[in-house]
Amino acid sequence: MTRGTSWLVIALAIPAFLWLVPTLWMVSLSFQPNDVLARTTSSTALGLVPWPFTAENYAALFAFGQTPWWFLNSLIVATGMTLGVLAVSTTAGYALARLEFPFKKTIATICLIGLMVPEQAVFIPLYTMFADFGWHNSYHALILPRMAVPIGVFLMMQFFRAIPQDIEEAARLDGVGWLQIFWHVMLPLARPAMMTLAILTFLYAWNDYLWPLVSAQQREYFTITLGLASIQSNFAQSEGLGRVMASGVIASLPVVVLFLIFQRYVVQAMTAGGTKG
Amino acid sequence: MPLRPKIGRSLSQAQAAYALLLPFLAVYALFLIYPFFRGVWISLHDWNLLEVAFNPAAKEYVGLRNYERVMWGKDIEWSLFAAPLIQLAGLAALAGAAFTGWTGRLSRPTALALGVVAALVVLIAGLHPGEEGRWYDRRFWPTVGNTLVFVGLAVPGVTLSALVLAAALNRESRAMAALRTLFFLSQVLSVTVVTLIWQIMFSPRQGLIANITELFGGTPINWLTDAQFAMAAIVIATIWWSLGIALILFLAGLQDISKDLYEAAALDHCTGVRAFRHITLPNLKRTITLVVILQIILHFQVFGQSHLMTQGGPNDSTQVLVRYIYQTGFRDSDLGRASAMAVFLFVVMGAFSVIQFIVGRGKSQ
Repeated sequence: MTRGTSWLVIALAIPAFLWLVPTLWMVSLSFQPNDVLARTTSSTALGLVPWPFTAENYAALFAFGQTPWWFLNSLIVATGMTLGVLAVSTTAGYALARLEFPFKKTIATICLIGLMVPEQAVFIPLYTMFADFGWHNSYHALILPRMAVPIGVFLMMQFFRAIPQDIEEAARLDGVGWLQIFWHVMLPLARPAMMTLAILTFLYAWNDYLWPLVSAQQREYFTITLGLASIQSNFAQSEGLGRVMASGVIASLPVVVLFLIFQRYVVQAMTAGGTKG
Repeated sequence: MPLRPKIGRSLSQAQAAYALLLPFLAVYALFLIYPFFRGVWISLHDWNLLEVAFNPAAKEYVGLRNYERVMWGKDIEWSLFAAPLIQLAGLAALAGAAFTGWTGRLSRPTALALGVVAALVVLIAGLHPGEEGRWYDRRFWPTVGNTLVFVGLAVPGVTLSALVLAAALNRESRAMAALRTLFFLSQVLSVTVVTLIWQIMFSPRQGLIANITELFGGTPINWLTDAQFAMAAIVIATIWWSLGIALILFLAGLQDISKDLYEAAALDHCTGVRAFRHITLPNLKRTITLVVILQIILHFQVFGQSHLMTQGGPNDSTQVLVRYIYQTGFRDSDLGRASAMAVFLFVVMGAFSVIQFIVGRGKSQ
């Protein structure tokens, strides 16, 4: 490392630390007793060091309150949505990328147009539709709308296009059917792309706010993101700052862990999701 | 299972393709395409959420009246001096677009898009009620204005800081990789966690910012309840939240610039800030355009920050379009008017998506 670079690292460490401070503060507050926090939030080092220390807030979260239940809902919805999106996107992506059939161009264009429709432009009609079906306050109501977003189809389509043609042709000569080729040859190859799409979808599902807000009105069907929103407006009076912050930490834990383990895929996923839809 | 492979093998290529496409096309048609048209249809009706829920016949076709009630008013006039500053800025942008498009400094579609946006700003900002007139909906255009102010602050804020950081972080070393991770971390948090953190950060009684201000003997600011600072507060939270994605896109763009260019420039004593200006910026032009458009689309849909941190207040100063749609639909139960606004949102965002598509396609060519 050259001298200039190490100076640069030190110079950049300051803004990087500042960037981390808000998150650090949330974690630190979640480990401080509520009666102390009611008096001051800057006990030790502006509150950035959790002293006096307690794990009470986390114990209270799991003993009573709906946070664990909401957390479970989020897991169910995010997992269901991820599996659903993977299923419809890999199949459709493969067909559009590798197979020849009438109206292929038309269908691809129709799918492309869907990228332009933002969630905010359809959430009202979706609400009335789901109300007509009596579907609100259910897991499938939270999962289904995102399965219709064509971004995954495009990610998978791009991936399948890049696979060399001869793999398929060899299988065809052996008399293997198209669906078998898809299932036994293409899907194993597509694992990295599916991983990227899975992470993109899981992050989206975990963090989505607007659609759960209109669709899930009963607290039993809140996701953790929605539940956290419902308790933060009157945090100080009812539950105590420390406990609300502990909920925030719990709500962030899966996505942060996911990010730290699969950083490369997360970055790829967000870049792909960002540039294409 | 002897049957399944047999069926699979007997399918023709087209049959297999349709079978594979069917699940996606079904959910796509049912949960995206159909709702979109249904939204347009609702916007043409006087449609009360609660009344129609009890009695499906309780809606009335009113044509374009919802659009009129939202966007128009009584005795509306147009003049060049209704909002002189905004309109002059629009005219300047229009002239700039014409000039850069003509001299070829911007590609033709980009210049055209910029020109259309600028012309629309000049036209729309020039509308105002006459002496006897009034807007049917006094809150709609100010809300659109707030949304644009938010976009106008957040997009340059994110873009500039991400650009500078990306240029500094674009080095291969473990320390740099760790720093990149730190800057990206906040991006994966949900909007409710971000607003939770920043609501308390900004709190005048308990907030970290207030604590620091008091440490230096200052008086804490009521960030979220002071009309002067509320918008700034949600912009700061937003920049903190969404810097990561811009940073990553810029780093990817920087990877594509050849190292030789910098080495050649270093021979001419062009390094550091000068190299950034003369090599990095020109070569990164397309990535910058893409990041800016992406951010515009993203931040135009802002909802959570305003809804949770300031509740649109104080005095509507942070009321944004999606929150207004949400409130009109689900608090005032006026789905017709809310849908008309949603169609407006779609048109604005659709225009930017088209620009994004054109710019993005240019990149891959």
